[in-house]
Amino acid sequence: MNWIVIVLIPIALVAFVTGQLFLKRGMESSAEKGFRDARVISFLIYGVLSMSVNFFLTLGLLAHLDLSFVYPFQGLSVIIISIAAAIVLREKLNFRLTLGALLISAGIVLVSMS
Amino acid sequence: MRVNHQTSARAARALERPSGFANPWLVLGLEVICVLIYELLQKRGASETASLSQTWSWVGITALISPLVWLAMLLMIVSLLSWLYVLRYIPLSIAFPLSRVVDVLIPLSCWLVLGENISPRRWCGIALVIVGLMLTAKPAAHLEEKL
Repeated sequence: MNWIVIVLIPIALVAFVTGQLFLKRGMESSAEKGFRDARVISFLIYGVLSMSVNFFLTLGLLAHLDLSFVYPFQGLSVIIISIAAAIVLREKLNFRLTLGALLISAGIVLVSMS
Repeated sequence: MRVNHQTSARAARALERPSGFANPWLVLGLEVICVLIYELLQKRGASETASLSQTWSWVGITALISPLVWLAMLLMIVSLLSWLYVLRYIPLSIAFPLSRVVDVLIPLSCWLVLGENISPRRWCGIALVIVGLMLTAKPAAHLEEKL
């Protein structure tokens, strides 16, 4: 494993998480302001851009590495997104939800590793 | 004062949860089913057409001949749109973990439909995800009561 992989995997993960946060923020404010609102549009565009960065980085990683190596890192996105949603979007995160997200992440890592 | 009242009324209306087929939980289920089916269709379509050209099959070009792959693309669009709809109503920290039920459904259907093997380690992972989903589904039910 070389340094490119060590750099690209976290970048892909961060791009995925930010993408989901932007899409969530955009769709949430669209419920109140409609789709013509400038902030709603820019949130959705940033979301799509971040998701595209993740899409191409994942394709690039898959071109050189096994799926069983790349996919477990995507599994970590569940717990990271839950924590990020609590911090950035001020969603309420109780012990139960955190434990649930942790178990799902761990399970996905196990499922995709084998 | 009046403007304030109007905006809060609009916000309250916006947060009203649609019922029937527009119910966000139902749409979340639709999203999961679309993802599950398109993954299986992609797998079938891609492996059926892999023998057409040794070189082009590696970049997915030969798969475009398969109608299954085109159906998969259609389902991909439907799943993306339904996910955006879900995000409008359900908190991300509940919707995203629940949407990962596909990570259990895909290996199970590969086992049932495509006859692939599941290793003991993978069974353990599936069990962990199911317990995690059950823990996440309980707050989701509470949220529903509040709405």
